[in-house]
Amino acid sequence: MVKTDKQPMQDNELDLFFDAARRDVAAPSDTLMAAIMADAQAQMPVVEPLPTSKTHKMGLFASIWSAIGGLPAAASLATATVAGVWIGFTQPVQLETLSGGLVLAGDYVTTDTTYALEDLAPGYLGTTLFAEDEG
Amino acid sequence: MNMALDAYEGASDEALLVLYGNGDAVAAQLLTQRLAPRVLGFATRLLSGDRAEAEDVTQEAMLRLWKQAASWRSGEAQVSTWLYRVVSNLCTDRLRKRRTVDLDAAGDPEDGQPSAVENMMDVDRATALQGALNRLPDRQKVAVTLRHIEGATNPEIAQIMGISVEAVESLTARGKRALAKDLAGRREELGYGED
Repeated sequence: MVKTDKQPMQDNELDLFFDAARRDVAAPSDTLMAAIMADAQAQMPVVEPLPTSKTHKMGLFASIWSAIGGLPAAASLATATVAGVWIGFTQPVQLETLSGGLVLAGDYVTTDTTYALEDLAPGYLGTTLFAEDEG
Repeated sequence: MNMALDAYEGASDEALLVLYGNGDAVAAQLLTQRLAPRVLGFATRLLSGDRAEAEDVTQEAMLRLWKQAASWRSGEAQVSTWLYRVVSNLCTDRLRKRRTVDLDAAGDPEDGQPSAVENMMDVDRATALQGALNRLPDRQKVAVTLRHIEGATNPEIAQIMGISVEAVESLTARGKRALAKDLAGRREELGYGED
């Protein structure tokens, strides 16, 4: 059968043309490839190098300052020191007030009631052992 | 350098682009080797076989890729799909500027271009197809070229052209019908007169 110009091509006929077109690929010229690579070099993002560790020599004070943790640590240390001094110098009645009566029961200041250390910690000074020896 | 190229051989286009974005020139070289021939082939077909203009478009599209590397969003689109879209837009702009030129005068590709095709029948077919493609409306030409020559899928073409998959199917179907009708007129000339 003779196909006439009036009959459109079938898919398989058309595929021959597409196959031919796929094979008909001219390679880019060296000039084009070089121009593209030159653009790539020119546009290549500059990556900052990672910072290297500084090894400069530190003085004695700077070393101690750094070792204890710098300003935040110094502030904490100062606060703890002031608090310790305050606790040491204030009268027990204030401790009583703060502790809500749990530490020292009774009116510690105005009554005659006093307690010796062995009253508070009888076993601590070994009085029990003395009693047993006497008995 | 060749050892570095070999090491990157299995890497995806996207991975190579990220490497380039981190300052790796070898990745750029491999990307150029992979993509430039495809971009050039596609641009040449869209620009009716104008090789010089296609080379300009190829260089411009690759330049845009390099500029995009640092801000490339991983997983959003394939590198080749993104490039085809850029090439398609660049070619469409250039074709619009050519509108004053007679379509028939710009119909067939220039003679004497270097070609990898040795078989004369293939040369004739490729040339005839290019002439028929040039007579299609731009959008049909882009869709048919991407589908049947570049081997893109319909969803990829939809992404490249910014249209729905149904619109792509319609464009390629109409384009193929027009090509079949156009090329039928050259059956005898191309040696298809008899079964």
